[in-house]
Amino acid sequence: MRHTRRTRRMPAPGRKVQLATAAMLLVATTVAACGDGQDDGATASAPKAPATIPELTKDPLTLSFIWFDWPPAHALEDFANAEYKKERPNATIKVNTVPNANWHDAMFTQFAARKTDFDIAILDSQHIGEAVTNGNILDITDFVKNNIEVEAYNPYLLAAYGQFPQAETGKRDENASLYGLPLLGDTWTMIYRKDLIGDKPPQTWDQMISVAERCQADNPGVSGLAFHQANGSDAAAVTYNTVNGVYGGNLWDAKTRKIEGVLNDAAGQEAMDVLVNKMKPLTAKGSGNWFIDEVNAAVAQGKACIAFNWIAASGGLLDPKQSMLGTTREQILDKLGFATLPSQKTNLVPLGGMGMHVSAYSAKDNQAEALNFMKWFERADIQKKWAAAGGVPSRTDALESPEFLNAGPFNQVYTDSVPRMRDMWNVPEYARLVDIENTNVNAALNGAKKPKEALDDIAKEQQSVLDSSSRKGGGGL
Amino acid sequence: MSAPLPLATDHPGQVAPAAPPAPGRSRRLSDRGLAAAFISPALLLLLAMSVFPLLWALYLSFTDYSATRGGPAHFVGFGNYTAILASAQVHQRALTTLIYVVGAVGLQTVLGFTIAYLISRRTHGRGLLTTLFLVPMMLSPVVVGLFWRFMLDAQFGVINSMLGSLGLGQVEWLTRQRTALISLIVVDTWQWTPFIMLIALAGLTAVPKYLYEAASIDRASEWFRFRTITLPLVWPLLLIAVLFRAIEAFRLFDLVYILTNGGPGVSTETLSFHVYKVAFLGFNTGTASAYGILMVLVVIVLTQLYLRYLNKLKED
Repeated sequence: MRHTRRTRRMPAPGRKVQLATAAMLLVATTVAACGDGQDDGATASAPKAPATIPELTKDPLTLSFIWFDWPPAHALEDFANAEYKKERPNATIKVNTVPNANWHDAMFTQFAARKTDFDIAILDSQHIGEAVTNGNILDITDFVKNNIEVEAYNPYLLAAYGQFPQAETGKRDENASLYGLPLLGDTWTMIYRKDLIGDKPPQTWDQMISVAERCQADNPGVSGLAFHQANGSDAAAVTYNTVNGVYGGNLWDAKTRKIEGVLNDAAGQEAMDVLVNKMKPLTAKGSGNWFIDEVNAAVAQGKACIAFNWIAASGGLLDPKQSMLGTTREQILDKLGFATLPSQKTNLVPLGGMGMHVSAYSAKDNQAEALNFMKWFERADIQKKWAAAGGVPSRTDALESPEFLNAGPFNQVYTDSVPRMRDMWNVPEYARLVDIENTNVNAALNGAKKPKEALDDIAKEQQSVLDSSSRKGGGGL
Repeated sequence: MSAPLPLATDHPGQVAPAAPPAPGRSRRLSDRGLAAAFISPALLLLLAMSVFPLLWALYLSFTDYSATRGGPAHFVGFGNYTAILASAQVHQRALTTLIYVVGAVGLQTVLGFTIAYLISRRTHGRGLLTTLFLVPMMLSPVVVGLFWRFMLDAQFGVINSMLGSLGLGQVEWLTRQRTALISLIVVDTWQWTPFIMLIALAGLTAVPKYLYEAASIDRASEWFRFRTITLPLVWPLLLIAVLFRAIEAFRLFDLVYILTNGGPGVSTETLSFHVYKVAFLGFNTGTASAYGILMVLVVIVLTQLYLRYLNKLKED
């Protein structure tokens, strides 16, 4: 009968044929999935870009960027399509955006696949080490020498957005390799309510805390301070690093790669104490997961006396449609003031912003177009136009130009802050270092850890990440 | 068109006459060949999308491979596995996951069964009620996470606003250690209680009515009927629903990512969220593969034990 024939076991040779077929299918799948095996022989160093721009294509071409979703990304796309097209009518600029929390993953998972749908990655300055070590972006040292006026920049700005190994704060190593050029400069600005604390901003950190304390007491429903505390991206970490810098602390000793004993020294402990025990009580209840948008919302709703935020994200504060502080820009500016950060033991401020980096996996025509775009973008006249369009340029002449200084009330803050900037580490282990710091600072700010315990844990765990390169197995834990 | 082949004889015991091959059909394509031809696309898909990644992850789990660093993968033996099993960080995430799974699935089971029991006793509006209760389950977890994040916001969230109107103080739902995990359990319960309810309702409607009628004749109490008829007959189906939910809850990622991002600190980081960090923050692909394989093993072992219990229950 048919039924019995179907359920009967196959004769041995038939089973063998089936097994062999299944094995072949598996092997074929494996080979197909592994591609041509180029990964195995990949060298871990950045390929070099040509010193001069190769001949550009005359065919229509889309030059793609990747960035996170925020106003400067849209401003860049509009600006570049309006201005760059005048010189390269066949080129279209597309700025692909992802949520801030996925920004690193979106770029580096594509780098991992050795295939990118973007030609220019807009990397945070701290991502450079990881991208260079993995050979993901082009070495543009020779290109910069031949095409960019390096003396037109504050040396540290040029270094921060392109140099690896990292530059010491305020210095640039002329012999170091460059892997990117500045796209958007940024730092924190202090946003203060002139109608509540007066026109003159506090000059020292201690003074700022006591002014905020008084303002909170005098204005029920308004919190003294608003700042980044979230455990995503680099939110809480930048906040601690800023206070750490102001109180004379250091993040690490770059030469000896020591974090333990440096970050959690007396100055580091004092900074953590100030942050958790003096600043946190002046923030709104439940603000332990606040980042850029939440701080802006608190300011726009008139719920904070003093706030800290990135300059590039502050433009919306002047929009009457988004603010409860006034119905016109002038009315809002009567109440809001923007100032450089107060100083204490030092006057350091955090370096923000991002650079442009050419993907090593982009097509040759697109890489050539990307280099041409970067050369164009760093021209003096274009930097001024970028400033007028709402961007933050990096050339000194553009930073001091009326186009930039008159474009926003916080732009003078940026120009004044440039000589005071300090960045985090840009080592390949950055993503893990910042996660350790973020989660522990966030824990301290939300009462899940004591401040000293959190700081000691940061130092210990970060040190173990830096020291773990020789460990066999378990990397990443 | 070819003539249909006779599949069986009309008279059992007689041998069916050999049917001539259908015109136009290859002599070499037997039934078995035809079956293989039909299942091979699905088989290939399964091999490419499930079997190969699993085997590849198994291979990587014994290496120090990193997806971004490139270069050859070096064999590290069981180094990744021992590091994971000995890691205090992993132990902490495992405890968080366990509390979450027990809390969320326990709450969902009690609520889901209760709602199903109440609905099953209604004669009017059962369909409408069931449909309404199923709505949360239809939503994407990311969407659910986002609107609950707004609702639970300490400053302007509707939950605190309601508490305020009742004269109660503000609660920091997502930024305090205890409330953050409770919030995750509540949101997951809101979304997935309907799943348990649906399965329980199916079980409740399948209970033969004559059993209740017989019990009524014997003047059995409501509680006695529930304890000796309803619960024992629905129990096996309910346990399968619990199994599905427990597996789902064990690999929770999306709600954590949206609602708390693992915070405050790492207090709501589940195992899946931790694997994500190991895999994508440092791109430690080898360690992340071992971590994933261990999680699969835990699910397989626990499921086997659970299924054995279920089978034993059926036999009894």
